[in-house]
Amino acid sequence: MNVVAKKPRTIPESSLIGTRIPKMDAPEKASGRTRYIHDINLSGQLYGKILRSARVHARIVAIDTSAAKALPGVHVVLTAADVPDQRPIGVARDHFPLKGDRVRSQRDEIAAVAAESEEIAAAALKLIKVVYEDLPVIADPEDAIKPGAPLLHPAPAGAQPAGATVAHRGKADNIAMRFDYAHGDVVQGEAESDVVIEDTFKLHYVTHCCMGVSGMIAEFDASGSLLMYSNTQVPFLHKREFAEYLNMDPARVRIIQPPIGGGFGSKLDIYPFEVICLFLARAARRPVKLVFSREEEFLASPTRQPVLLTLRSGCKKDGTLTFRQVHTLHDNGAYTSWGATTPFVMMQTFSSLYRVPHCDYHTVAVYTNNPYAGSFRGYGNLQATFAIEQQMDEMAAAIGMDPLAFRLKNAQHTGEVTGQGMEFKSCGFTDCLNTAAQRSDFSRKFADNAAERNQPGHLKRGIGMASMLHVGGGAKIYPSDGCGTILKMDDFANVTLITGASEIGQGSETVLSQLVCEELGLPISALTVVNNDTAITPWDVGVHASRTTFIAGNSAIGAAKKAKTKILAVAAQKFGCTAEELDLRGGCVIKAADGEVVTELSKLIRNLHFSDKAELVMTTFYYEPPSVHQGKDYKGDVSAAYAWATQVVEVEVDTDTGIVRMLKVTGAHDVGRVLNRLGIEGQVEGGIVMGQGYALTENLMIENGVMKNPNFRDYKLITAPEIPEMDVSFIESMDGEGPQGAKGIGEAPAICIAAATANAIANATGVRLYDLPFTPERVYRALHGQTPKLYWKPWVPAA
Amino acid sequence: MTELERYVAPTTLAAAIDCLKDGEVTILAGGTDLTPQTRAGRMRIKRTLMNIRRIPELKGIALDGGAIRIGALTTITEIMDSALIAKHLPVLVETCRHFASDQIRNAGTLGGNLCNASPAGDTAIPLLVLGASVELASKPEDKIYRRSIPLSEFFVGPGQTRRSLCELLTAVTVPLPAPGHVARFHKFGTRVGLDISTVSIGIGGTLKDGALAAARVAFGAVAATPLRAAQTEAALEGQRLDAAAIARIAAVARDEVHPIDDVRATAWYRKELIHNMTKRMLENVAQA
Ligand SMILES: Cc1cc2nc3c(=O)[nH]c(=O)nc-3n(C[C@H](O)[C@H](O)[C@H](O)COP(=O)(O)OP(=O)(O)OC[C@H]3O[C@@H](n4cnc5c(N)ncnc54)[C@H](O)[C@@H]3O)c2cc1C
Repeated sequence: MNVVAKKPRTIPESSLIGTRIPKMDAPEKASGRTRYIHDINLSGQLYGKILRSARVHARIVAIDTSAAKALPGVHVVLTAADVPDQRPIGVARDHFPLKGDRVRSQRDEIAAVAAESEEIAAAALKLIKVVYEDLPVIADPEDAIKPGAPLLHPAPAGAQPAGATVAHRGKADNIAMRFDYAHGDVVQGEAESDVVIEDTFKLHYVTHCCMGVSGMIAEFDASGSLLMYSNTQVPFLHKREFAEYLNMDPARVRIIQPPIGGGFGSKLDIYPFEVICLFLARAARRPVKLVFSREEEFLASPTRQPVLLTLRSGCKKDGTLTFRQVHTLHDNGAYTSWGATTPFVMMQTFSSLYRVPHCDYHTVAVYTNNPYAGSFRGYGNLQATFAIEQQMDEMAAAIGMDPLAFRLKNAQHTGEVTGQGMEFKSCGFTDCLNTAAQRSDFSRKFADNAAERNQPGHLKRGIGMASMLHVGGGAKIYPSDGCGTILKMDDFANVTLITGASEIGQGSETVLSQLVCEELGLPISALTVVNNDTAITPWDVGVHASRTTFIAGNSAIGAAKKAKTKILAVAAQKFGCTAEELDLRGGCVIKAADGEVVTELSKLIRNLHFSDKAELVMTTFYYEPPSVHQGKDYKGDVSAAYAWATQVVEVEVDTDTGIVRMLKVTGAHDVGRVLNRLGIEGQVEGGIVMGQGYALTENLMIENGVMKNPNFRDYKLITAPEIPEMDVSFIESMDGEGPQGAKGIGEAPAICIAAATANAIANATGVRLYDLPFTPERVYRALHGQTPKLYWKPWVPAA
Repeated sequence: MTELERYVAPTTLAAAIDCLKDGEVTILAGGTDLTPQTRAGRMRIKRTLMNIRRIPELKGIALDGGAIRIGALTTITEIMDSALIAKHLPVLVETCRHFASDQIRNAGTLGGNLCNASPAGDTAIPLLVLGASVELASKPEDKIYRRSIPLSEFFVGPGQTRRSLCELLTAVTVPLPAPGHVARFHKFGTRVGLDISTVSIGIGGTLKDGALAAARVAFGAVAATPLRAAQTEAALEGQRLDAAAIARIAAVARDEVHPIDDVRATAWYRKELIHNMTKRMLENVAQA
């Protein structure tokens, strides 16, 4: 018998990084199995509904709930009087979940009902009688800021003067927040300028329009512990906050997040409905499910921050930027949520997108009777970029320079430390500018369109560009910006990754699995991700600031590296070599030098487990990025990495109707490195469409505090036929701190579109628009000289 | 909550109009207007909800002597797909292409669109231009009584028509257009798909020597009802469509309409659109 020597099996090197990996949860979603909060039902649950104000600004004289309470099927009816222990909520702790003495906006919550069906709850609301005494409506932030304006938050009757919060002690003016930042000396900057330009820009209300409306299910168990199903984006911080509002131990609060419904920043704050749902469940001693109607979603969700902004900038004849001075008036709405804090991001763009030696930035956020603004993908950056990038074109024109050349001259480079203290350890800005310009043939088209502007015909072509800078390595806002991971391997070498990162649709499960597989040489199918449950997962600060891939990715890699070290040490001992001589690949332990298989990983793991020194492979890791908190002067390197992008928008403007068609978007994004190509393409394309809606069609119309279009008929989202052709390039600047070199880019793709569109319309028609959105009528009016130039004279009251 | 007590789904026209006698009946066809309107509380469902979708007599498109008869239950999709309509009334197909989305077009009916009587309803505009009539049936005694009224007299105000509570709209009849007849429809919305008209315009007539004879013009979303524009028609009648005439007619159109401001547009902008789009459509007709 011939014995043929068995050829050793080798596994060639390969990498998952940069490949196209379908989202792990795609089959579930495509087949409709993934559960929205609507689809979750607990046995014995009641249905909660909220009575909102019928007035925009009024004193509540009396509330009569007796008829509602008497309706069969109604279990609980609550007003502020029934919850004497309610605590003020919100970023500035300036309102109570249930309003007792005063309503300040159309959405205000006056009473709530828990009943056996939604129909009964709705009928009960109709039986509640409220007597109002109207107060003057302050709908314009410019009025609210005037000396002697009626106060939105006067000291309440019987106010505790020593009360810690606005809700308790009131506020002597309508200023909710203010931000003042400076580097350099703008007076000197202006003196050195050859050209100075000043414009006022007006940014409108839009809202997130998540596919799933807001909702919550709350249940207290027999021992008083609370379980919540909630779409929150910050479960661990909110767990603590909810506990505070209920005066209970945070350890007894558990939050489970459905993986679908949508966030985009809208679930970054705690809203009255959530606390009210808890009150109802506590009073009813039954689970309570409270889900918004679509109309309610429009009325009672946060909006993107509307802004009135006057920007003054200068440059020298050779194109060098000299200074920027910014004043903004933020319409805070009736209460303070994250919208008021968008200056944190806005000032970064003004101070650091380009090299600008002198910068001065001021924001006043004022209370009005309008809806209140929250956080929304881009967090103020769409507004700031809209202003800056239009002025970049205006200044380039004023000195006769090509807009691309002007930007290149002032663009940031790797190694730069900005006036605000941001340190650009990897910066592909110049590559973004050049790539987007070349791929779209920008400079030729820009010149041709301008030359053809006055030809006959009602269709004009335009091209415009805009760039952005945004945090790409988390943002150190809270005491920690970290994320924890627990990794365990079973005896078939499958990995369960228990991550603090929440999956709310962004594809984090897939990219985290990919990073772990890359370390451990496993196929994606070997990974199971466990997330979205505060009772199980380690701490994480939340889904925001484009941080999940970067922070949770580094955390997952950290846990995987520890597992690998352990595995290789065991293998080295077993096979009599050093750990350095071994590696993991294709589900096997291999020789690092030539890929020869030493043993199957699953076999090794079982040997380890079922031995006399039984052991499992389980590791933990907590990643904290090396960023710093900003000082009181807003200076400091707040993110571990920064993302860059340039987007070029091409439009066709119909001068007979004002219709602007977006034909093509050419984007170049510095993403550090592409991890899951399919995922990042989806993220960028979705962001472009969101930016397109902001630029062209979406507009929440508020008149005297009343929302005019709380429905999808008159609030116009972009639909499929309007989506432009897209050409997206990725610039791989290989960030030293990023997971496999990657940066976060969740918010980036939405940021430039409106600014680039404004520049494209100006290129097509010679008319520049300073206020959004570019609806046909607004564009038509501007083209026909019906739009007086906006001007807001900054008036900053003494601090 | 509604006072709904009874749901009926008759299978014959006679049974349906018998039921209507009661006066407290809400008619349900495709439900694409009824559902959102009742949900939003803008309309109340009456004591009886009557689904008319099982009545064969209300369906179908047929050539009937010198006219095309379109059953009230014909869906927008069916109109779009009909070879008969494409051949004789191409402007109606064109209109349906701009109507809502596939899902709504599959459910929404012609009868529902007309009975809903929205000033922005789309099918009314080409039908006004084509000189259509609506057929209404009732059963005062034990015999079915039918009457026909011109569509131009059908609309009374937003949501209001001359149909009485005990009548059912059974069909729309459209006389076959004369040879050489041309017609155009333009719908202005802020986006390509799924939009309610900000203004809509229909223009038709028999084209001879660069002029329109028996000219008809209809406008939507500029008044309380879809309307025929008598002054514009008079200005258009028999005029050679050269640049000067087109400019004159477009100016008449602008002056003839008296729209309102609403969330979709201001009156000023609507008048501008009527002017600019009428002009563009006439230029297009002149080149035909
Ligand atoms: C998302 C969306 C988009 C839309 N887009 C458009 C659009 O682009 N253009 C447009 O014109 N409309 C549009 N509509 C409105 C609607 O779809 C149309 O008006 C449709 O044709 C209504 O037909 P229906 O069969 O669904 O009517 P229903 O909702 O069933 O009925 C409408 C009304 O007519 C009455 N009725 C129905 N049939 C008869 C009959 N035979 N006799 C007497 N009374 C009757 C009903 O009682 C009711 O009052 C849209 C609606 C939606 C929801």
